[in-house]
Amino acid sequence: MKNTFIAQNPSVLWFLAALGLFTFGVTMLSEVTGVGVISTSFVKTLGKTLCLCLIAIAMDVVWGYCGILSLGHFAFFGIGGYAVGMWLMYARTEGIVLESLTSQTIPPTPQEITDAIGNQIFGVVGSAEFPMIWAFADSLFLQLLMVVLVPGLLALVFGWLAFRSRVTGVYLSILTQAMTLALSLYLFQNDSGLRGNNGLSGLQNIPGFKATPQATISIIFFIASAAALALGYVFFAWVVSGKMGSVVKGIRDNEARVRFLGYHVESYKLFIFTITAIVSGIAGALYYPQAGIINPGEIAPIASIYLAVWVAIGGRGRLYGAVIGAAFVSLMSSWFTGGGAPSIPLGFYTVEWTDWWLVLLGFSFVTVTLFFPKGIGGLFDYLVRKPS
Amino acid sequence: MRPIFFTIGLIFGTLHSAQAQDTGTPFQDILQTHAGEVAKPSRRSVSVVLDDLIAAGLPQTTEFLEEWSARNVWQDIDGTFFIVTSEGDQLGLRDVDSGAESRGDKRDFTQIRPNGGVRRVIGTALVQFQLSDPDLARRETALVSIARKPEAAQLAPLLASIDGEQDAGLKARKVQLANFLSARFADAPEDRIAAIESLSKDTSVEARSVLNQILTVKSGLAKDLPEGNIARVLDPTVAPDAFYQQLIDADLAPIRTPPTVVRAALEANIVEGRVADIPVAQLDTDEARNRAYARLAEAGTVPQLVTNVYRDAALSEHVFYEIYNEENAEITAAAEAALKSVEARVGWAQTADLALDGLSLASIYFLAAIGLAITFGVMGVINMAHGEFIMMGAYTGYVVQLFIPDYTVSIIVALPLAFAITFGAGVTMERLVIRHLYHRPLETLLATFGISIALQQLAKNIFGTQARPLTSPDWLDGALVFSDVIQISYIRIAIFVLALLFLGLILFVLKRTRLGLEVRAVTQNPGMAASMGINPDRINMLTFGLGSGIAGIAGVAIGLYAKVTSEMGADYIVQSFMTVVVGGVGNVWGTLAGASMIGFLQKGIEWLNPSNTLAAQTYMILFIILFIQFRPKGIVALKGRAAAD
Amino acid sequence: MSMLLEVSGVTVTFDGFRAINNLSINFAEPELRAIIGPNGAGKTTFMDIVTGKTKPDKGRVIWGEKNMSLLGMSESQIAMEGIGRKFQKPTVFEDQTVRQNLAMALKNPRGAFAVLMHKKTAANGARIEAIAEEIGLLGELRRSAGELSHGQKQWLEIGMLLAQEPRLLLVDEPAAGMTTEEREKTTDILRRAAETRAVVVVEHDMEFVRRLACKVTVLHEGSVLAEGSLDHVTSNPDVIEVYLGRANA
Repeated sequence: MKNTFIAQNPSVLWFLAALGLFTFGVTMLSEVTGVGVISTSFVKTLGKTLCLCLIAIAMDVVWGYCGILSLGHFAFFGIGGYAVGMWLMYARTEGIVLESLTSQTIPPTPQEITDAIGNQIFGVVGSAEFPMIWAFADSLFLQLLMVVLVPGLLALVFGWLAFRSRVTGVYLSILTQAMTLALSLYLFQNDSGLRGNNGLSGLQNIPGFKATPQATISIIFFIASAAALALGYVFFAWVVSGKMGSVVKGIRDNEARVRFLGYHVESYKLFIFTITAIVSGIAGALYYPQAGIINPGEIAPIASIYLAVWVAIGGRGRLYGAVIGAAFVSLMSSWFTGGGAPSIPLGFYTVEWTDWWLVLLGFSFVTVTLFFPKGIGGLFDYLVRKPS
Repeated sequence: MRPIFFTIGLIFGTLHSAQAQDTGTPFQDILQTHAGEVAKPSRRSVSVVLDDLIAAGLPQTTEFLEEWSARNVWQDIDGTFFIVTSEGDQLGLRDVDSGAESRGDKRDFTQIRPNGGVRRVIGTALVQFQLSDPDLARRETALVSIARKPEAAQLAPLLASIDGEQDAGLKARKVQLANFLSARFADAPEDRIAAIESLSKDTSVEARSVLNQILTVKSGLAKDLPEGNIARVLDPTVAPDAFYQQLIDADLAPIRTPPTVVRAALEANIVEGRVADIPVAQLDTDEARNRAYARLAEAGTVPQLVTNVYRDAALSEHVFYEIYNEENAEITAAAEAALKSVEARVGWAQTADLALDGLSLASIYFLAAIGLAITFGVMGVINMAHGEFIMMGAYTGYVVQLFIPDYTVSIIVALPLAFAITFGAGVTMERLVIRHLYHRPLETLLATFGISIALQQLAKNIFGTQARPLTSPDWLDGALVFSDVIQISYIRIAIFVLALLFLGLILFVLKRTRLGLEVRAVTQNPGMAASMGINPDRINMLTFGLGSGIAGIAGVAIGLYAKVTSEMGADYIVQSFMTVVVGGVGNVWGTLAGASMIGFLQKGIEWLNPSNTLAAQTYMILFIILFIQFRPKGIVALKGRAAAD
Repeated sequence: MSMLLEVSGVTVTFDGFRAINNLSINFAEPELRAIIGPNGAGKTTFMDIVTGKTKPDKGRVIWGEKNMSLLGMSESQIAMEGIGRKFQKPTVFEDQTVRQNLAMALKNPRGAFAVLMHKKTAANGARIEAIAEEIGLLGELRRSAGELSHGQKQWLEIGMLLAQEPRLLLVDEPAAGMTTEEREKTTDILRRAAETRAVVVVEHDMEFVRRLACKVTVLHEGSVLAEGSLDHVTSNPDVIEVYLGRANA
């Protein structure tokens, strides 16, 4: 089966080869090997970009293939980040607390340790108690399970409600946006149990690897992100090829026809919505240890719209398009807003890109939507003729 | 103006004589009898002076007491008291009896400086005079001062002054205040109960505070419940630690031994790596630590360990209660009943106030959403930049105010100007972008989102990130006050009126004009409309311009009560979409219903959880998500085949 | 010949307008039937009710030997029971090849997991080719459906219905926009399909109906006006009144 699948989708092989080469190249040029052409912070940027590419292909599957313009997938991304962040923060604080308590004459009781950790983590929101949702924070395995379960269950419940009552099109988009807004507003509260607008921080310090330099950690996460992207790409390419792909694209193009063919459209949508949510959660879980900090602002509805923008610019309905879009736009964004782009002096006014990048992005997005509905990926269609 | 009772004409210096009575200086005479107390008053001695002055009942008393209290009474070398009207090297003097004006060298006089305590006593006495003072303003001041600090002694003079009161409004206030005082201070319990019962219909803050004053309690604890007017017996198990602290404060129980104290005690008693023969390394559980501590306690090294069991036993041996300061149980019962009735009334009033709040929020949502309802509902176009049109309207208002300083005029200019600018922006956007994306609604969403972020950033580049003020005219300041509980600011009323105007206007345009007819025709069947000579392009353009223009006007209205920032549009866009979707697309009444539902709901949830508006918004959105499950087409749903397609 | 579908006493109201008014109509298996009627007679609404898209206000829709009620079943359940529907406008998946279109419609398990794990088999391939041959698209299997002509799209959609192996086929105006030659071919496909199953054709075009040479039901204002052979119903004065009434008036 694998053979026929790869044979029918040669682009998957091309993608894997390109990704492998890129990963190898970056690793070789990083500070780990001593070459140091690529700085550790840029390795992190690249690693984060790979995670964004992963969520972008998930978005492409749910929107480009299944036609559901979800404005909520970045919320799932954030949930993944929070889930893994809770363990990172707990475990690291526990290490610090244990170290400070060993100097005392009497060994600490479990309660004293928990109290001290709680104080460290929640002192900033004026609390010391561990909320219920931190019940599993001491277990990496359980929190990793949360990365998959929480976005999956949320998507399942939300999708079931929405698809069951046949909410479609822009209505569904607005509904997913409302869900995202509700989640981010909830997280902004201090008593949400997730440190309100402070979010979770210090996530770049991996517990148990205190002695390992950030250069090594960044490369490990970079390679892990690349591996996750490769797996995600193959998985989604497999899902959207073959008969499943036919049905899913059919739902996008004419939902009623698929329904009258006897397919239970709602379960297909639910399946796509949920697996893409899970992959988004995984992408987030890899992203935030590299970013170092997560706060509710990351989940704001606008982030999910940007996700759609990346996919649209890259080209919907083709997985590599989503990867190109996410990588291109997010790297351009950090180049322009990070002060990398030179200012343009006009004599009477100097165009500072930190101020004008969003204007440029906004209008170029309008241009792409109007004139290049197939996005950057559409250009490939002219170059590469698909074997039919 | 003070009336003059005595003939003027007596010369300065002849005032002070042995035959004061004969010379017509009765007031100075009384002062001279108590010259020492007047010149150097203390809180105790001053009452003697006051009693005599009151007994004499002379008309000059009020003014003198006021000036005395204000440190304007001076004494000359002979000991005669004068009221000083102007200071300087030469004092302006006024005779206490005749009111005759004169001047004197400052060096010949000493100022009398009663201290704060004395001045308060004088003030209290003064009130009685002021209550019946011919000057209305003074009577009012007196009433206010009583209301601020009611005392038992004021009841009698207040009651006495009611009959003679000429001013009807003031009389009513006197009666009300007398009622408050009677409720608390009347001698006969029946009078108090009657007064209390009369308060049960009064929702004013003062009436409630009177009742609460009567119902003040002090808490106590004892082995057995004492005699007295017990308000309630408390259950210590709800907050055992707090109640145990009361026992500790009353010296009825030993101090708790919290884990930190145990730990400190153990650390202080480490002997060769062991505490009470238990190795230190084993002391890593509370149980082991308590065991070690208990051994230390047995040995008498430390006080006894007070555990939760000990605490609960101590609590069960005592009774905790609250006792009324008022001893008469009938009075407290009447006050409780009256308070309950008042609170029920206040509850209704609060509901009414909440409804007003909900109404004004609904008006704002309606204004923000109605333009969207037109573009989204009528044309099926989703405009993510709608919020930015609201922002453009608000900034238009701000810029107009930079040029036109008169706020009333500037608002009158800004409203049509905002409409014109956003109408133009809307038409431009429709021509350049949206026209090419009909039948691709999801892509319209994304393209307009691109415009939205660009416009937002442009506004930030032009106006900066800080909030800009849009000042409302003076006549919109303040609030319409119905009672202590129910009030609504004029701006919100204005927004409500504006929303009503727009509802009427849009209904008129859609139902009664040629444009409206054509809009509806294009909405229902563009092909047929085109074949009948209607140009759908033009209609779409105008409709979009209309929707955008209304957003601009909404922006001015919203800017008046909220700050103008580049992100203000984004704050309203999600709510606006939800308003349209919840209400039912393609229907002005639906938008009204949606705005009302969301406005009232948000206020309702905020009322349930006032401390947390974020949570209120979260719950509201969740409610809306659920609501759409059950009514996917909104409150006002179109039925039939048209809706199914 | 046994009763396959029994519609009795069905009424549907849209905003006070009675689209279907106490309609009773039966179909046997196999059978070829044409339904004609002026605009607004309720032809499309009738199909909406049978396929589960619209819920009637009252009445019964009974299906098959087990006398199962179709009311309350979802569109996909009804489709799985063996009712196929062709829309007025050709609705095929234009982004996908003819083969993919047919493969999607083939009678196979419809569950998401079964579809995800679906493998191509020689048997399925043979069925697809047989159907393609039947509808005359054997040579176009690898082409994208969007590239087909209007008539070919109509045939592809009929082919997709046949691939579903339904017992009842509802076909809405199959001949609209077709050339005479294409019409003939369409007639042949439908008549062959009706040899083993019930085929119900809703049509405006009298010429096309005549070519089908089958029993005709005339709908008017949401109920049956006349039923019988085309010659029989066209001689019915009520039918003439409805179709030509305006001319007489």
